[in-house]
Order: sequence, then structure tokens, then C-alpha cells
Amino acid sequence: MTTETTPSQPSPTTLRVQAVSFLNARPLIHTLLDPKHAPRHADGTPMFEVVEALPSRCADALAAGECDLALVPVGAYADHPEWEVVPGVGIGCRGAVDTVVVCSRWPIEEVERVYLDGASRSSILLLKVLLHEAGLSPELVPVDHGVGEGLVADASTDGSGPKVAALIIGDAAFGVAGRFEHVWDLGTKWFERTGLPMVFAFWAARPGVLTPAHVTALQKARDRSLGKYAEAIAKHYRDELLASGEPGAAQALSEQAYATYLRKTIRYGLETQQREGLVEYLDRAREAELIDIPGLHPEDPVHIHFAGEAAPEVLVAARRRRSSRSPLDVDAILARAAAGERIDLAEGIYLYENAELMALGEAADQRRAQLHPEPIVTYIIDRNVNYTNYCVTRCKFCNFYVPPTDKQGRGYVLSKEQLAKKFRETEALGGIQILLQGGLNPELGLDYYEDLFRWTKQNFTLKLHALSPTEIIHIAQIEELSVEEVLRRLQAAGMDSLPGGGAEILDDEIRARISPFKNSTAEWLEVMRAAHGLGMRSSATMVFGFQETAEHILMHLERLRSLQDETGGFTAFITWPFQADGTRLKLRDDTSAFRYLRVQAVARLYLDNIDNIQVSWPTLGPEIGEIALRFGANDFGSVMIEENVVSTAGAHFMMTAKEIESHIRLAGFEPQRRTMQYGRVEAS
Amino acid sequence: MNRTKDTARFARIADKVRANEALDADDGLFLYTYPDLLAVGALANERREALHGDKTFFNVNFHINPTNVCVADCKFCSFARLEPDAPAAYTMSIDEVKQKLLDRMDQPVTEIHIVNGLHHHLPLDYYKDCLRELKALRPDIHLKAYTAVEIHYFAEKYGMSYTQVLSELKEAGLDSMPGGGAEIFAERARRKLCRGKADADEWLAVHRAAHELGIRTNCTMLYGTVETLEERIDHMLRLRDLQAETGGFQTFIPLAFHADNNSLQKLPPPTGVDNLRTYAVSRLMLHNIAHIKAYWIMIGIKTAQISLSFGVDDLDGTVQEEKIYHMAGAETPQALSRVDLVRLIREAGRVAVERDTLYNERWTDDGEALDGIRIDASLPYSTQGQGVRLNVL
Ligand code: SF4
Ligand code: SF4
Repeated sequence: MTTETTPSQPSPTTLRVQAVSFLNARPLIHTLLDPKHAPRHADGTPMFEVVEALPSRCADALAAGECDLALVPVGAYADHPEWEVVPGVGIGCRGAVDTVVVCSRWPIEEVERVYLDGASRSSILLLKVLLHEAGLSPELVPVDHGVGEGLVADASTDGSGPKVAALIIGDAAFGVAGRFEHVWDLGTKWFERTGLPMVFAFWAARPGVLTPAHVTALQKARDRSLGKYAEAIAKHYRDELLASGEPGAAQALSEQAYATYLRKTIRYGLETQQREGLVEYLDRAREAELIDIPGLHPEDPVHIHFAGEAAPEVLVAARRRRSSRSPLDVDAILARAAAGERIDLAEGIYLYENAELMALGEAADQRRAQLHPEPIVTYIIDRNVNYTNYCVTRCKFCNFYVPPTDKQGRGYVLSKEQLAKKFRETEALGGIQILLQGGLNPELGLDYYEDLFRWTKQNFTLKLHALSPTEIIHIAQIEELSVEEVLRRLQAAGMDSLPGGGAEILDDEIRARISPFKNSTAEWLEVMRAAHGLGMRSSATMVFGFQETAEHILMHLERLRSLQDETGGFTAFITWPFQADGTRLKLRDDTSAFRYLRVQAVARLYLDNIDNIQVSWPTLGPEIGEIALRFGANDFGSVMIEENVVSTAGAHFMMTAKEIESHIRLAGFEPQRRTMQYGRVEAS
Repeated sequence: MNRTKDTARFARIADKVRANEALDADDGLFLYTYPDLLAVGALANERREALHGDKTFFNVNFHINPTNVCVADCKFCSFARLEPDAPAAYTMSIDEVKQKLLDRMDQPVTEIHIVNGLHHHLPLDYYKDCLRELKALRPDIHLKAYTAVEIHYFAEKYGMSYTQVLSELKEAGLDSMPGGGAEIFAERARRKLCRGKADADEWLAVHRAAHELGIRTNCTMLYGTVETLEERIDHMLRLRDLQAETGGFQTFIPLAFHADNNSLQKLPPPTGVDNLRTYAVSRLMLHNIAHIKAYWIMIGIKTAQISLSFGVDDLDGTVQEEKIYHMAGAETPQALSRVDLVRLIREAGRVAVERDTLYNERWTDDGEALDGIRIDASLPYSTQGQGVRLNVL
């Protein structure tokens, strides 16, 4: 996998596709089969040629190279981690799924034998995982598709035979729930255990065949079918069923019920939370020793390779500009940027790649002086409080989190007493704000935060610079509320502003590699947009050292800059190199101080609409912090009373306000205490 | 300060630098206080590149300190013990000194750096024997031994001239001399710091005598204690004058004072900006000394890396062959592996050159993969690290 996204040459070849014909798969293939609307290459060649098949057949065909792309049960991925998965599209559920159910005349806990009714590998695996976790081990007996329900219905209840159940999936499962006393909907069971969505199938391809154009076409095909044709698909399905004369025909549901199934029950996305559920599922199967993924370190979560998506337009334009005739000139760009003029993406990339460190620094220093003519450098006294370290997200670069399943007692949620102590100490040290961040703890819902914030505001004078976008998204997902609603309620409870954490590099390809279950780029930006819209300010961050390219870095800045044009809500930008010690991410990249200064200077020049640049002394040390004040920064950050996420990964700098002031003076500036909004505070 | 006037003055100084003219004391002070740190740095960098291009030197040596007993009591010294029988005082036998080298016979070391305290009663033969025995073990190895303070002490103690002492030591195997003991020359500061040890004139006279015998030497300046900026500039100028006379100095090494375990603990140590400024000003003031060296152990590897853009062309610190340290660590390690050192030089866009004591080039970084990693400074950033993408993820 390479991160260099070369402009895609539309390949005129047609991908051979196999897909399931189940009702729930139809929204994904309906448009692909539509002769008029099937996606085509620029020259008119169809992009896909679809053949319908059973789920297990699809996976085998893909493995055997009989097709290039297939809608496969996710369980098959365990044998083929090399497959590339189409991002954003899947077949799953959040809670009840209706079409993957175990039915019985006995409570499932008592069942001695389960008939597997021609089921797919994913659903059998899911059943095994759930049985394993419930401590149950009934005999599992495969039977032909369609006979399972009958075997259970006809079983004698007089105690002469075993207590039996059947796992029924797909269209045959419709209505089963109503015909038996005891039913496990595996979607519901999964959700109860994990709080996560379940994904049953996705589009997977042989490595290297998917282009961004294919990815976009598949995403659009799903949107189109679902947007306009759910009812038509439902009706068509029902008509077919009735005409077929199959035994199930007699039990056909209403058109409306099928449409609701497509629109509400089944979730066709494959976004952050679904990805999380997906990997959780494969991980639990692995833990239960039901599958083995070759070459994967036991502590690492399953890694799913997602195919790249199309480059954003602004980047395509920048590439065009860079390959055009008129050469760019470093000195000219620097002079314009130093004077506060806007430089475009192509120029930013060019600067980053070609300008000398010292020239960049001088330009950034000039720009800093223009924005902040007084020779003043600000800092804040606040305390970083990590209220919980339980986190479901398992980012590879993070050495702070403890999975909720941890059995060694390493996880914590701070009690009110512990928080109160920290808050009181902060006030006593002259602190005016709490930077409150934590892991994504599935146990903590919106009311936990509302209560915590209200309590803080009732008992302390501290400002709450709380919850990065990652946490906001997590809360929105577990509460099934919109991000905006979550923010509104948190704001009402006392939240003042948001830290800009969880951005790392705002590029989904990099994110998929380092933090596959963390929010996507768009989601992060969306939270910031919503928060700014509600009048809350936030900071913005960037962590580099994940083998990103100049394009990635500048695109990150570009995304921040254009959102800032829209909202004006960012107060400051902070960047630092990734601290690898003790994390699971064994990357080799340039994380030197030299590169840090370079990145920061470019950021000062590119982010012409963000007022403040903060040095990151906790990761680089106060000396580089001091030097960085000459490379575009005007803020020394915070007297970090504690900083768990970084310090567990190897940086251990602690300073008092006095030391910070001394470093600021040594760099030739006057220190000034500030608030989160960069208002000045008189030192007492 | 008047900004336009200052800018004009800076431009005049830059012209002098480009013409390789000597700057005067006022120029030096101006550079020390000119608000635009990066302009001073960039000028020093220009000079550095004119002299050495992107080359960044290092050498592989090790240190022997045969005794830490010292009659002097320098305020900044955490090494010396006043009396031979004080706790933690030691004096090695000649065999123990030899053992230090025997332990490293298989290592590609090209130099041994030897300095001592000023011992109350060791004979000159002890110092000569050290050299002779080490040479006998490894004739190819370069012996950089004894500071001017020691030479001055020997001369006084044994009633000999500097030239006599140095000739005898040279005959025993001395190849060159380290630059230690210069501290800060100005009498006022020197009295406060290290009363009783060789004064400025004596220190300079020893080096003059060494240069006349064909012994190349280094020179140092200890800064960040009680000295003023004027006194730093004065120090540099005295070195420059001797260099104009003899041409015997190879390298100037500014030493940032560290309040570790000595009687000056209350002073705040020189920090990032002061360190960089001092390197840059040294590079500009000492136009006739070829190299400016940074000790990364003292200033930290991060600042040391940045110093390569502020006039420094030589990095010193213990270099080991094996891997012992990860770049992402925050604290300054005691030693760097060769791979990590070369990488940090590459990351700064420079070319690492392993040298011997006299700056003969032994190995030049050709950009080959290190540890399977390729960071090629001549390539644009966007392509860096691509060679490793496949196998790390
Ligand atoms: S970085 Fe944040 S989201 Fe990721 S694992 Fe760590 S605590 Fe969880
Ligand atoms: S002369 Fe050297 S060894 Fe002796 S006290 Fe001074 S610095 Fe230390």
C-alpha cells in the first residue's frame, strides 16, 4: 500500500463482480444492474459486470480469482487479509437485524443442538462468538438451506429428543421471530454485548484492481438505489417471491415491511463505528480461537485495508498547477506569505518541499510579528485531566488507553472526589481551565458528561476546555443523537470550548492505517463546524510522523484553513511529532526537531486566518519550545499540570509558570498569561 | 533600538562576512543582541556552507580520565576531587589505563581523548607512560591528550618550559591537544570561576607553544556562568588573534554550562536560543578557525540538530556502533548509535562525514539505507520514507 495517490488513469477494463441476491444486498447492486445507470468509464466501457451468487460462493470466487470484486461475508476476510475493502459501503445493523436469528421452542440457554440452516460463514461465526461469550456450547449441525425452521417446529417437546434450535439467515428468516417463543436476533445480541454495530458483508476486491473511481461509483450506486428505489426494490422482491411459489411465499410480508427493513433495519454504511464493530467482531472471534489471521500480532487489532478514495478537488488542482509550466519561486512565495498574503495549496506544498529551514523560519517570524506586533508570548495555566482511560478505539499510536475488556484492573474512571481534588489543586495553582479529555468509554453516556459539567460549574470557577471531536462523535453514536444536539446539550451543561485533539493527520488513508476506528476526516471537521456554529471556540492540532507526504500535511492545513474561513472558530494551531515510545506503531519516519520547526513555520505561513500558533514543549522540550518561538509561534501553551497521553509515550517535561516565563524571556519576549480565548490574565 | 538603522548595520556586517573580513567586538555584540535570531543564524549558516557545504563531521573516540584528583577547585567542576583519598577520588595505574583500550581493541575507534585533574604528586613520567603504552597497543590510534591547564601545571611543578613539557609528551606519543580549560578568559569572570588555574595568557601561551611544535589543538569557551556578553566576545577575539599568528586551532567548541553537581547550581543553564545564538556568533567571529563543534550531550540532540543550521559543522558525543537509542525519546541519551547520528544529520538535510582527529575524511554518508531506512535529504520531503512503507505496515 502506498500513500502516494497518483492521479487515477481510468482503466477501461470491466471488473468482474459477484454479489448476493438477498434482499438486503439489492440496494448495493440495483444500480449496477440497471442498463441505463450502471457506472461507466469515460470511454463508455461499463465499470462492472455483475453475476449473482450465494454469499459463500462470492468469497470463494474472489479467492480463486474468478472475479475481481465481490460482496463477501466479513468472516471470509479472516482468510484473506490482503483483500482491499471499499470504504463507506457495507451491509450491517445496529441492534436488531431481523434476518439473522436463532429460533427455538426452548430458551436458547437450554438448547442442546443448533441446526445451521445453510448459513453464511459470518453468521455462524457470530453465533459461535456469542455462544462462547455466554458460556454455551450446544452441538452445531449444518443442514440444508430451508429445512432448519421445520426441524425445530417439528421437534418433540415431551423430553424424548434434544432441545433444538435453528440459525436461520437471509430472506428465509423474515417473520421467524413471530413464530417461535424463543428467539435470539444476533444483531440485538451483538449490540447488547458490545454497544457496537455489526457488519455482515462488504465489497472486497483483489488487491490493486480498485481505483478511486470504482470506489466512488460503488458509493454512489448505493446512495442512488437507497435514495430513490428502496420501495421499488421491496415491491420487486415481494412480487418475485409470490410468483416463485416457494414455501416462503405464503409468509411474505408487506411491501412496506420490506422497505422499512431496507431503510431502517439494515445500515449500508461502513464508517468509523461500523469499522469498529467489524474489527471487534473479528477480534472476538480471534480471541475465542475461532479464526486465525496469519501474520497478525496477537495484540494488534485486525487491520482492514481500505481502498483509496478520490483525491479532493483542491488537491487535484494543486497537482495540476505544480506540473504546469510556470515554475514556482520559493523567495517570492515566502515574501508574499510573510506579508500575510494567502498562498495556495500548490505553493504551500512547494514551500514545504523546497524552502530552506532558516528562510521558512524568518518568513514565519515576520508573519508572527505582523500578527502580534507586541513582543509578547502568551501561556495559560490549566490542567489536563484524563477522566477515563477506557477506550474502545485502540489507535495504534496510543499508549494511554485500556480496552474495556481489560481484566488486569488497569482501567479507571475518575470519581468526583478525585476530580474535585484535581480541580481544587488547579485553582490553587492559579489555573483557570481544565482540559478534559479521555478515552472512548462505552459506559459513559451523555448524562454522565452533562452531570459532570454541571457539577464542575456549580463547584468551581474553572473553564471547561473539554472533549475532543473524537469523544463528541463517540457520544453522538452511542446516544444515536446528532453531533449538534450533543454539543448543544454539553454547552448548556457548561462546556466552554473544545480541544483540537484527535486530528492527527486529516487524511483518511493515513487514519485507516494508524487509527482505523477513530473518526474520519470529515467527521472531525463536522464536529468543529458544528461547535463553532454554536459559538464555541476550539483549537486545532496536527501530529506528524506517520509517513505522511507533503501533500498530506498541506491538505491538513488546507482543511483547517477553509473551515476557518467559514467559521472563524479556531483560536490556535499546535503541531508536534508523533512520540512512538511504548506504542504499537513501529513506524520509521522523521520526527526530529528539525522537521518540527519546518512544519510549524509552514503552518504559520499557510494558516493565514488562524491567529495563534502554540509551541509543543511537552513533546519537544522547553529548549526547542523556546527556539520554536522564532519559527512562527506566539504562545507557549500551558503549564501542563499533567499530560497522560503524551507522557505514557515517552515525553516527560514538566515546568512551572516561572520556568515557562524564563524560557519566553530567553527567547526575547515578554510572558503574558492568557485564557483559552487568548484574552490576557493578570498573574496574581 | 532603531529598526532601520539596525537592519542597515546588519547588512554591513553581512558584507564583511561575505568578504571574509574579521568582525570587531562591536559587531560581535551587535550580533548577540540583534533581535532577528534567524537572520544571524542564516548568516552563520551561509558561512558554514561556504566552508564545508553540507558536510557534518563526527569522529569515533573514547575518553580516559586517568585521575580525577585535582589541586584546583573550579566552581563549575563536578569531576575533580580535591584530595587523593577523598571519597570517589581515583588514580588509575598504567595497567588500568591500558585496560581501557584493551577493552575496545576490536572497536573502530580512531582517537583517545585524555584529560586529568591536576594531581598533587604524580610524576611527569606517569603522563608520558600513559601515552607510550597506549601507542604501543594501537600505533594507529590518535592521542589527543592533556589540556593547556595541565601542561601549565606540569611546567610549573617540574620547573620546565611549556615547550620542554610538550616536546617530551610529543616524543612519548602525544598527537594533538584538546581545547579544555579555556573557560572564559576575562580576568573578572575567571577569578570567580577558577581562581588559581592557568590564566588566559598562560592558556594561550601553552597553545602557542604547541602550535609551534606542530601540535594541532582545539579551543573552547565555557558560557552561561557569570560572564557578560562582552566577555564572551573578548574570549573569541583572543582566540582569533592567536589563530592569526599560528593557524594551529582546528575547532572551536562552545560549552554550555550545566549546573549538575557543582557549586554554581543556582544559575539557570543556557537554553535553546542562547545556545544557537552562541554557535552562530562564534561561526561569524572566528572566521579563521575552520570548525565549530556542538556537544550534543550538553545541549541535547534536538538543539544539536538545529545547530547545524546555525554555523555548527561538527557534532561530538559518544558514538556507539550498536543500536541503543530511539529517536523519539525525550531525554538526552548518553550515547548515540552511528545509525541514529547519521539519521539525525540526514534529517537536517546534511551529509554525515566520519573524520579522524585531523579532519581526514574516513567515511561519507552516501545515502544508503540505514537499518533498512532511507532518508534522503536531497529528495523532496514527500518521497521520504516511501521505501519503507511496505514493510512497516
Ligand atoms: S488516541 Fe484516543 S481514541 Fe485513540 S485509543 Fe487513545 S484514547 Fe482512544
Ligand atoms: S582544573 Fe580541571 S579538573 Fe581541576 S577542578 Fe578545574 S576543571 Fe576540574
